Amino acid sequence: MSEILSKSKASLRWRLGPLWSLASLLMLVYLVTLANSFMGESLQVQLQFALVNLIIVVALQMFIGTTGVLSFGHIAFVAVGAWTVGLLTIEPDLKRSLLSDMFPFLFDVQAPWLVAVFIGGLVGGLLALIVSPFLMRLNGLQAGIATFALLGVVTQVLTYWSSIGPRSGQSMVGIPDVLNLQTTMFFALGAIVIAWLFQRTRPARLLRAAREDGIAAAASGINVVSQRIIAFTISGIVAGVAGGLFALTNRVLQAQQLGIELTFITLAMLVLGGMLSLSGAVIGALVFSVIDVGLVQLQAGVDIGSFVVSIPQGVRPIILGLILVGFLIFRPSGLTRGREIVWPFRPQRQALPGVPPENE
Amino acid sequence: MPTHEIGLQVENLCVSYQGVPAVRGVDLEVKAGEAIGLIGPNGAGKSSTLLGIMGATARTGTVRINGIDVAGLPPEKVVRQGVALVPEGRHIFSELSVLNNLKLGLVGRREKTGIPEAFAEVFTLFPILEEFQGRKAGLLSGGQQQQLAIARSLMANPDIILLDEPSLGLSPTAVDTVFEALDVVRKAGKAVLIVEQRAEFTIAFSDKTFVLHDGLITLTLGPSDANNVDVLTEAYFG
Amino acid sequence: MNQFIQSLVDAISGGAILGLAALSIGLVFGVIRLANFAQGEIITAAAYTLIFTWQLGWFISIPLSIVVAVALSLLMEFTVFSRMRTATPATLLIASFGLSFLLQRVYEMLFTNTVQTAPVGSALAQSIDVGGVRIQMLSVVTIILAGSLLYGLTLFLAKSSLGLQLQAAAADFQTARLIGISASRVIGLSFALSGVLAAAVAFVSTVQTGAVGPSFGVPIVILALVGAVIGGIDKLSGALAGGFLVGFATSMLASWLPQDFSNFRDAYVFGLVILVLLFRPSGLLIRGRGVART
Repeated sequence: MSEILSKSKASLRWRLGPLWSLASLLMLVYLVTLANSFMGESLQVQLQFALVNLIIVVALQMFIGTTGVLSFGHIAFVAVGAWTVGLLTIEPDLKRSLLSDMFPFLFDVQAPWLVAVFIGGLVGGLLALIVSPFLMRLNGLQAGIATFALLGVVTQVLTYWSSIGPRSGQSMVGIPDVLNLQTTMFFALGAIVIAWLFQRTRPARLLRAAREDGIAAAASGINVVSQRIIAFTISGIVAGVAGGLFALTNRVLQAQQLGIELTFITLAMLVLGGMLSLSGAVIGALVFSVIDVGLVQLQAGVDIGSFVVSIPQGVRPIILGLILVGFLIFRPSGLTRGREIVWPFRPQRQALPGVPPENE
Repeated sequence: MPTHEIGLQVENLCVSYQGVPAVRGVDLEVKAGEAIGLIGPNGAGKSSTLLGIMGATARTGTVRINGIDVAGLPPEKVVRQGVALVPEGRHIFSELSVLNNLKLGLVGRREKTGIPEAFAEVFTLFPILEEFQGRKAGLLSGGQQQQLAIARSLMANPDIILLDEPSLGLSPTAVDTVFEALDVVRKAGKAVLIVEQRAEFTIAFSDKTFVLHDGLITLTLGPSDANNVDVLTEAYFG
Repeated sequence: MNQFIQSLVDAISGGAILGLAALSIGLVFGVIRLANFAQGEIITAAAYTLIFTWQLGWFISIPLSIVVAVALSLLMEFTVFSRMRTATPATLLIASFGLSFLLQRVYEMLFTNTVQTAPVGSALAQSIDVGGVRIQMLSVVTIILAGSLLYGLTLFLAKSSLGLQLQAAAADFQTARLIGISASRVIGLSFALSGVLAAAVAFVSTVQTGAVGPSFGVPIVILALVGAVIGGIDKLSGALAGGFLVGFATSMLASWLPQDFSNFRDAYVFGLVILVLLFRPSGLLIRGRGVART
């Protein structure tokens, strides 16, 4: 009798475990947002940016976490998505006067902001789809360099090709203020759900197998490149959506903002949280953002009792950089060690290095 | 400087890889002028034993080189205690010349004297190396590369030589050349430990042969057991 | 025709410098599989040294910049990379990325974002007349400098014991240790040599631009890294060739691209990089489709 009971408990854990990890992530994001909505205006804006970054990190994790292949180029999809939304939401007259060198049809093209965001996602995904048959054959360092080169190409094109945007040195301004914190949060929640669903699909499973042993996977008939293309494209869509949200949050766009520095920050968040799990992506993004916000406050000066504690201007990025490098040295598997948030009432099976316990 | 007993002493050597044990408590001893064989089926832990002795992989247990405990020393320091390893697959530096490969062997040499003599000895043992000394090592045949690998380790003038499957992939003639040289080395007073898959040959050659099975020594054989099929079968499959 | 020769000389010089930079990355990669993105910050440090000490005379300033570059290089190894021996090349790249970011912010804090200037090597910033063609003296000096450094390095690697040990360690690190080659010595050596090359690159670049800011080395290291990988970062000759190719192409494009397209020069170079990686992922100099050691 007790054996049947413990078996059904185990199967309950087996079924509910992954749902629990999803639910707890959603709850985490919701609570953070809730707590924040009681704080000042400037903090709310920072949180909005943080949520956008979270979506980017989730997109990154969807690809890097499943395939084990490094991508330094995801910000290219963010940039393309941002550009799309910018072009679709700025008033035609404004476009005519400020972005005068553009293709004429771009002046009149308009879309409601929500639609624009999804189109931005599709454009990001499209770019990913186009380049992936080529890039997805590469591994390790070569993949990192090639995706980095992709980012380089996109950044250069967006900076200098005045037919699709502002002249170099100028920014795209006039993006409407229609996005509030709550809506951004819903997008973030949506991205987490999509990533969670993707984890459970066949392509993701095949990719995780290939990640552990590429030769065995190929010998089993898995076409790794095709599966990678799927993962890359989907994560490109999510990254594109994040880009659109970035545009709506920042309301001013310059190609420079969406380049190496953002690549570094999002990678740092992912490393901090743990590359191999979705929980890692979410937790890493949240923790990093909280630390960052804390540092911003310290920079402005914080009252503790009768003292004002503050840190000098340039120290904040140094501290963030130290955190990234520190984690890479001492805890490369991140805060979560590549595991998902688990059903809390049973002891966790020891995870093998690099292999998250399969919850399916 | 107190004279230590020349030789290798291994006590309760254990090697694991990520929790999976490969060597589970091996004791052996090789004295100067002795050749000891270590045979066993694939996966028995033979290479791991050698790597453990050299400090190239994490291990527990005691390893004494010439009486000195080498616990915690990295391979490059273990070498300087007087032991050399000829690795499985030879691992010569194929882009460098034969001569340069030999010169690299000098890096682990304890004394800075006697170098011309070392070259002379090695060229006497393996004349083909003298002939090909300017050639890129990668262009040598398998047997010649094995000779080079052994010669390289001899350049360091070690007291103890460990060999990991020296006959692997070699033609019978080449094997003969190699083992003739090893016999000279043994008679010169060095301690030789040979890991091999070719049971008969090794048993006949060595003064004593241990059979390693699943990480433990299960049998000790002498040269007279070389033709005893039953003993061999039991050693490998028992 | 004259213009072509001028641009050719400039391109060879540009290729030489980037080749040296790529070589400095390849030297370290060969031994510990680290593609050091922070190499740019070593170049920047050497450049800042030149700027700040030039008035003491070139015979102080230049050696000092070499010392700074080597010291910073060894410091990086000692504090960060020596603790990451078991990391994958991709992880090491990210770590070097983080280190690069970190150091740039440190430079910002120390020297502000404003570029620092000094007339470093102003004697070289003139053109000379060679058979009716005006050639930049700096280009000629660069080619000679690069050539000499390469020659010296080749000699060192081939003839000296340490050089041989470095080659051995780069070819087969585990075996090298098993025959007694000291890992730390060889790794330290590779970082030190890498620093020397970085100082040379810094010198030429500083003379060229006369101004140094916190992200001085970044565009150089990006192209150098990319060049090293497409040339085949595994082998020193590959890294050198790849770096040279990228430098050469960049310079030629800069000279010959019509006005409208010149802004996209970097985009073309990156596009070229992707193309090369597609057809030869292990690098241009590796025969066939070799298996990349990454």
